[in-house]
Amino acid sequence: MSRIRLIETALLVLVGLLLALATVNDVVRQTHVNDRLIADLSTWRHYTDHDYKELAPDQHLLGESTKREVVCGNTAPGPQYARTQICLEIWGPVRAGRRAVHGGWYLPAKTEEDLRRYRYGCFGAAVSEGICSPAGGRA
Amino acid sequence: MRAGAAGIVGAEGAVAADPARPAVDVPRQRGSTTARWHAPLAVLCGLVLVAATAEIVLDGAIGHSPLIPKSPHIAAWLRSLGGERLGYRVFLIALLSSTVAYVVLIGLARTRTRPRAARERTQGRWAIALVALLSLIVFAGPILISTDVFSYIAYARMGVVHGVNPYLHGPAAIAQDPVFYYVGHDWLDVATAYGPLYTLISYPLAPLGLVGALWGMKVYAQLASLATLTLTWRVAARRGFDPVFALLAVGANPLYVIYGLGGAHNDLIMLALMMAAVALTIAPPVRARIAARAEAIGTPVRTRISGRAEADDRSSPARLAGAGAAVIAGALVKATVAVLLPFMLADRRRARQGRLAILAGGLAALVLGLLAGYLAFGSHGVNLIAALNRDSAFVSTDSFPNELAHLFGKPGVFPVDHDLLKAALALIVVYLLWRTWHGYDWVAASGWALLAISVTSTWLLAWYILWPLPLAVVARDRRLLLATLFVQGLFVIHQTSPLLAPVQ
Repeated sequence: MSRIRLIETALLVLVGLLLALATVNDVVRQTHVNDRLIADLSTWRHYTDHDYKELAPDQHLLGESTKREVVCGNTAPGPQYARTQICLEIWGPVRAGRRAVHGGWYLPAKTEEDLRRYRYGCFGAAVSEGICSPAGGRA
Repeated sequence: MRAGAAGIVGAEGAVAADPARPAVDVPRQRGSTTARWHAPLAVLCGLVLVAATAEIVLDGAIGHSPLIPKSPHIAAWLRSLGGERLGYRVFLIALLSSTVAYVVLIGLARTRTRPRAARERTQGRWAIALVALLSLIVFAGPILISTDVFSYIAYARMGVVHGVNPYLHGPAAIAQDPVFYYVGHDWLDVATAYGPLYTLISYPLAPLGLVGALWGMKVYAQLASLATLTLTWRVAARRGFDPVFALLAVGANPLYVIYGLGGAHNDLIMLALMMAAVALTIAPPVRARIAARAEAIGTPVRTRISGRAEADDRSSPARLAGAGAAVIAGALVKATVAVLLPFMLADRRRARQGRLAILAGGLAALVLGLLAGYLAFGSHGVNLIAALNRDSAFVSTDSFPNELAHLFGKPGVFPVDHDLLKAALALIVVYLLWRTWHGYDWVAASGWALLAISVTSTWLLAWYILWPLPLAVVARDRRLLLATLFVQGLFVIHQTSPLLAPVQ
C-alpha cells in the first residue's frame, strides 16, 4: 500500500501544481481585464465629461473574447439608473489610460437591463452593427 | 503516515491504543522556549480573525456594496459602528488576513505541546469562545456575498403563502411578493434544486414575513453549524484526534465563517447531517470500552467485528441504520452528500450485519423522504437527478475547469468538457471505492469524493469547498486536510484580482 500511497501523493502534487498554475494564470488574466476596465471607465468619464462613480461596464454584450466593452452611466447627476443613460462601445489599445469610443446609444431612465428594445439614439458602430432596435436607432 | 505516543494511526487506519480515551493528536514535545510564544501568537491570530470578520460585517451593514446583496435592513443598528461601505479592497484584505491568521492558528493547534489536563481544558474553552464569537459576529450582521438565502425564502413563500409549487416554478411566479425584489437575477426563473426535506424545513419560516424568515434562516444556519462543530469535536475525540484542532480547523475557517455562515447557506444543514452520519458509525464511549475489553479477553461481542476492525467503529446496527438514514436525510437537503453512502457500505472492516443496517436505514429514509416529497410537491419534488443535471451545466468564474480552460487558451468550458469532467469524477469515485474496499478509511474516501466533486464542478462557489472540511479533520489521512485547505487557498487567491487592479 505504501507504493500506492506514493503514487497517489505524486499525482495529487501534480494536480495541485496544475490547479495552482491555472489559478495564478486566471488572476493575471483577470488583472489585465481589470486594467482594461479601468481604462474604459476613465474613457467614459472623459468622453461624457461626467466624473460619476456609478458606472456599469459590460464585457459580455459585444463578446467576452473580443475585448470590446460597453460602459453605461447617467447623463445627469442622480442614483445609478435613475436618469437617462448613455452607453459607449469602447475597444482598442489602452493609450494614456484610455481607449477609443466607437459608438453607443441611450437608455431610458430607470432601465437596469441593457436590452435591444430599450436602446435609442444609436450612433457610430452601434448603428452599422445593428445592435440597436430599428425603432430606436438612426439607421 | 503518522504514529505517535497515543497510538494513533496511519492512513490505512491502524487502531488507537485506548479507544475509550479521547486522545490528543500526536502530542509533540517541544522546548519551553518554543511553547512560550505559542500562546501569544495564537491569541494574536484569534484577534485578527475577530477583527477581520467584524470589519466585513460592520462595513457590510452600511449597505450599498457589491459584496452585500440587496436586503431588508436587518443590521441597520450596526451602521454607526462601520467605517465606510464595504468595497473589494477592504473585503479582500480582511479575507487574506483571516486566511493567514487561520493557517497560523491551526498550525499552532496542530503542533502544540502535549497539554496537561487543566491546560487542555483552558485551550478548549478559548477555542470554543473564539468560534462562538466569530459565529455571533456574522449572525448579528447582514447577509454576506450571496443572494441564495432569498431564494430559499422565496421557495418557502411560494409553497406556503402563494400555493405555487417551488419545484415547477421560479420566484418570478411570485413577483408581487416582497422577497422577489431580493432574489438573485439569475435565479428568478429557476425552480428549486434543493431536496424536499430542506424545502419542508424552510416552510415554517414562510409565514414569519420577509424579515422574520431571514432571521429564521440565520438561526437555522447557526444551529446547523453548532451541530456540525459539536459532532466534529466528538468524532475527532472518538477517532483519536485532537478535538480542539478539529474545532478550530472547521469553526474558525474564514470561508466557513464569512461565506457559509455569513450567507446562511443550507449547506450547513447538509454538513450537520453528514457529521451526524459519521458520528453514528462510531460507537459511544461506553460501548467502545466494553467492546475493546471483550476483545482483549477473547469474548465475542454482540456486534461482530472482523479482525481488522477498529475499536471506535464498533457501532450497533441501530446506530448504523441511523447513519444510513442521516446520509439520505442530508441528500434530501442537498443531494451531494449522498456520495457518502457507497463508502460507508464499502468499508469491509464493518460486519456484514452493520452494512445491511446502513442500507436498511438509508432505504427506509429514502422511501419516507420521497413519499413526503411526493405528497408535498408531486413527482417534480422527488426528481433530484433532473435538478442536479440542470445545475451541473452552469459555469462559474471561480470553477477550476473554467480556470483550466483559460490556461489552455480556451474562452471557457464547452459542453464536451462537462462530459469529460463527469467521466473523471466517476473514475475517481470508483478508485476511492476500490481503496475503501481494501482497507482505506471510508471517512477519508468520502472527503476525497466531496473534494473531487467541488474541484471538477463547473459551478463552484465558496461554500462548496467547505463540504469535505469536517471530514478532513477527522479522517485518517492528513493529505485530505492539506488538499482541502490548498484548494480553499487557491479559491481565496482567485478572488484577489480586484486588489491587484482595483476597478473604480
